[in-house]
Amino acid sequence: MSDLTLTPAPALGGYRERFEGVQLEELPNLAIVSIATPRGGEAEFAAAIEKAFGVAAPKPGHSSLSKDGRTRLVGMAPDQTFAVFTHDGPDARQVIDGALDGAGYTTDQTDVWVSLRIDGPRAHTALERICPIDLHPDAFPEGRAARTVMEHLGTIVLRDGADSFLLLSAHSSAESFLHAVETSIRNVT
Amino acid sequence: MTDKPINAPTATLREAHGGGSATYVEQPNRLAGGLVDHGRALNFDFDGRVLQGHPGDTLASALLANGVRLVGRSFKYHRPRGIFTAGSEEPNALVELRRGAHQEPNTRATTVELFDGLEAGSQNYRGSLGFDLLAANDLFSSFLSAGFYYKTFMWPQAFWEKVYEPLIRNSAGLGRLSGEPDPDSYDKGFLHCDVLVIGAGPAGLSAALAAGRAGARVILADEDFRPGGRLNAETLEVDGMSGADWAERAVAELAAMDNVRLMTRTTVHGVFDHGIFGALERCTDHLPTSGGKPRQVLWRLYTKRAVLCAGATERPIAFGDNDRPGVMLAGAVRAYANRWAVTPGQRVAVFTNNDDGWRTAADLSARGVEVTAVVDPRNTQPRAEIPGAAIRMGDAVAGTRGRKGLKQIELASGGTIPADCLAVSGGWNPNVHLTCHQRGRPEWREDIAAFVPGKDLPVGLTVAGAANGSLSLAAALLDGETRAREAVESLGFKPAKHTPAKAEDEAVELTPFWHVKKGRARAWVDHQNDVTVKDVKLAHQEGFRAVEHLKRYTTLGMATDQGKTANVLGLAIMAECTGKSIPETGTTIFRPPYSPVPIGAFAGRSRGKDFRPFRLTPSHHWAEEQGAVFVETGAWLRAQWFPRPGETHWRQSVDREVEMTRGSVGICDVTTLGKVDIQGRDAAEFLNKVYINGFAKLAVGKTRYGLMLREDGMAMDDGTTARLGETHYVMTTTTANAGGVFRHLEFCRQCLWPDLDVHLISTTDGWAQYAVAGPNSRNLLRKIVDPEFDISNEAFPFMACAEITVCGGTPARLFRISFSGELAYEIAVPARYGDSMIRALMAAGEEFDVVPYGTEALGVMRIEKGHAAGNELTGQISAQNLGMGRMVSKKKDCIGNKLSERPEMNREDGLRMVGFRPVDRSRSLTAGAHFIPRGAVASMETDEGWMTSVAYSPELGHSIGLGFIKRGSERMGDIVRAVDLVGDSDIEVEIVSPHFVDPEGERLRV
Repeated sequence: MSDLTLTPAPALGGYRERFEGVQLEELPNLAIVSIATPRGGEAEFAAAIEKAFGVAAPKPGHSSLSKDGRTRLVGMAPDQTFAVFTHDGPDARQVIDGALDGAGYTTDQTDVWVSLRIDGPRAHTALERICPIDLHPDAFPEGRAARTVMEHLGTIVLRDGADSFLLLSAHSSAESFLHAVETSIRNVT
Repeated sequence: MTDKPINAPTATLREAHGGGSATYVEQPNRLAGGLVDHGRALNFDFDGRVLQGHPGDTLASALLANGVRLVGRSFKYHRPRGIFTAGSEEPNALVELRRGAHQEPNTRATTVELFDGLEAGSQNYRGSLGFDLLAANDLFSSFLSAGFYYKTFMWPQAFWEKVYEPLIRNSAGLGRLSGEPDPDSYDKGFLHCDVLVIGAGPAGLSAALAAGRAGARVILADEDFRPGGRLNAETLEVDGMSGADWAERAVAELAAMDNVRLMTRTTVHGVFDHGIFGALERCTDHLPTSGGKPRQVLWRLYTKRAVLCAGATERPIAFGDNDRPGVMLAGAVRAYANRWAVTPGQRVAVFTNNDDGWRTAADLSARGVEVTAVVDPRNTQPRAEIPGAAIRMGDAVAGTRGRKGLKQIELASGGTIPADCLAVSGGWNPNVHLTCHQRGRPEWREDIAAFVPGKDLPVGLTVAGAANGSLSLAAALLDGETRAREAVESLGFKPAKHTPAKAEDEAVELTPFWHVKKGRARAWVDHQNDVTVKDVKLAHQEGFRAVEHLKRYTTLGMATDQGKTANVLGLAIMAECTGKSIPETGTTIFRPPYSPVPIGAFAGRSRGKDFRPFRLTPSHHWAEEQGAVFVETGAWLRAQWFPRPGETHWRQSVDREVEMTRGSVGICDVTTLGKVDIQGRDAAEFLNKVYINGFAKLAVGKTRYGLMLREDGMAMDDGTTARLGETHYVMTTTTANAGGVFRHLEFCRQCLWPDLDVHLISTTDGWAQYAVAGPNSRNLLRKIVDPEFDISNEAFPFMACAEITVCGGTPARLFRISFSGELAYEIAVPARYGDSMIRALMAAGEEFDVVPYGTEALGVMRIEKGHAAGNELTGQISAQNLGMGRMVSKKKDCIGNKLSERPEMNREDGLRMVGFRPVDRSRSLTAGAHFIPRGAVASMETDEGWMTSVAYSPELGHSIGLGFIKRGSERMGDIVRAVDLVGDSDIEVEIVSPHFVDPEGERLRV
């Protein structure tokens, strides 16, 4: 064994920038774990989620915040839920495994994505330039989530506040994605 | 009226507004009132002459205010042309705007908003605008009639390319491009609404108010910079106030509503499927500079309902020399006077076949402009008393006089009347364009002699106001309100109670009158493309009678204005020729865009390096530091090789990387390979069904190569799948097929075998994965892998896999797999550690002289080892072709199994993948060469196969290749020719095993 150690590096180096009416930041400590519902194990899965998080598993396109407010569960597909929570370290999957006790198949998705939060009164206006889906609060209220494509890049968008959106896109194209979002902001501010 | 030579500059623009002491330039045609700010002067430059206008002016209104009538030359005959309309339908007044790289040709002066410092120039002349050398074309007009291209340049044939084409190209076109890259930026965007209202005239404002008050989400888009449409151009009253005041009040109410988005300077240019509309917003065109913001935004509007309130376009009447500067549409003349406080002439005559045209005479007269005549071909009572004007009922204008601008009109009854402006109205054509973008056909309405929208409208779209043939103001207001109410009610909104806007129902009666037959001079139909009545008649005479033929033969309606003022007139004349009715004659197809959209706007941000996103590997920035040369593989940028000082040719770098890897150890970033996390009780069965070979018995901690077929039996992709746990597998795919394979697997899971408990999720980006290859790979990894994990050959043999930790506890995955044929591993860490990991691996490997290698060395080693890759897996290759026919397990079913049994795919003389080496070892092989028997002529009949991949093998010291050849596996040692007719080479090659290096696979297992 050598004395070599590995240090984690955020995809965008911990990017954080303020614009007029918009703030954009990378969330390097946002852990994402996908949970698949075993076929035939739906009831056990629902009970385990309820027990672990104090809320029901959300339907696709919706999300719910755990009772302790620390984990957001996002419905991605009929048999797929993302658990999104702040966590430092590469063992996010174990955290969820421990909470669910085998009621779902988990996969660590933290490093698959780059996470950006865009918030502020002009956030929606900026997103109009790249987001094809309707983010009007009536159509996309707080807690709603959707998969879409922004500037050719697959993106998950989640409204986590009145003027705040969480954007997840592929880790490998993080720099292109940031450029797309930044350009949208600069074009409207 | 002045007709000063406009090429004589009075002062430069810089002088005029540079010092802030702008000299006042007289505007001879400026009236009082209107919707311009008389208190502020804006300096602008037209053809080097500095002029002044006011905020609220368009370039056209400002030019008219200054008495400039000659603004351009026509397309074909280079006839002098002036401003013809007051809107986006303008065929004549095309100018070049701005200077340098910002120069934009073919801009309609009627839509250009005036700003201080605007620079514009006329276009399409040789010499000067006033004395255009190409005006000689006009003298030869009898040779340049419709279809002259098709007739004139036929002989001699040899002249076409060298003489005729350059000549035509040189004369054709209107404005000039700057020839420089466009320095402006453009953007796109997406908007959503319940109701889109297109056009903010009386119908549109009324519709938007009704929909907005009901609480619906409304977008109101208008191409003008001032909403109101004809309300701003008329003297008619709404609710007891001027139309313009009412419009202003309506706009203020709409602006105060949160649920209404008012978009001015925005043209809805097309209707697409499912209620989607395209719109172009001109964000900074009205400003001196864009200030770094996008100049224009191309919007995609998602709507539930849309109300088209696009108004109507006035049409001219054709008569001799009706294209002379000063001849204008009557509604435009009135608009200039009422909205822009400009009279286009000092002595105005009116020629109209309808009541609306009379309002031009009345309005101008009321503003103190001298109206010299009103000529109306109808044999009825005059519609108004116009003081001082000669009223000629039952007469027509047969010709005009004046060289570069109108001086007199000639009457059909004989005699002339002085006029420097002739306001012409032949009636109004509803703007049906958008209703026809999905192949709807407009219908003819006899009472207004015009086409109105048909019944077959795009889904969700209704039409209101003048666009629907409701030509009076009262009708338009009511129509807009009604259509909007219907739209919001159908969406479940409750229309608010309010008093509808009231206006007088002004007279709009008309008797169709298309062209004046008297007179010998040419009468223009399409001003922009120089199509005359005679051309239409010629088309008829020569058999081009269908409207689509008429259009192509004469170019009627094919210019940048798409014939907005010309088309109906043209087909009315054709109808006259054929003796058919106008509705029988029909219209040409309307297609988007409604008015020109710059290509730059369609491109949006997708320019240069922003054309598409890039995917970067976790070691990318490290590789950049090493001076790597990158290659695009799909969206990925991968290191192709890592040149070292002194290496001048890529082969030197690649050969070294191969030799050092095979000699000791090399590292390659293989993160780009697709990774699919597969979990579930039935995951093994699932893999058994998607791969041709068996996976049911793969033990935990083992990896297996797998080949998957498409349903048609052809090879789709290959890779390895590792079993990490009882119900947990990780599949790798090729880089190129990662997305496609994942989609295929999801299809299998969701549609073919929904009962299986199997779950998929991509983890491609989640893991930084490095191939560590070469005899010292284990020694290197021992310095990285934490000591509690035994990676000795016995504990971790070939094809083993494990979840481990590295560098003191960082989670990792280790696979003992080899693409290079060496003792090799692939090691993966969460992507966030990828950069740190490559540095750690290189540091650990220093004592072994470790080398990073790129995709080229990777390719050389896989060819040396005989592994198929993208060059071989073309989609037309079967497992049998790859020599893997026996891998298709017949003990189980799998995708592609049945169809791979087709006789054609199992021919005894089928293609087999084998290796090739040149008989003369000094020769280089080329991929794409075809295999031909010795002594045979290279032809399709003698073709036996082709070379797919070639490389120089540093290990063997000569060129090697992989390829497909008939019966290949039975022909070891045979000599054939590799013939490359494109590269002009013909080399004798020997058929050999594809496994050039270590055919027994001993190196893998040590």
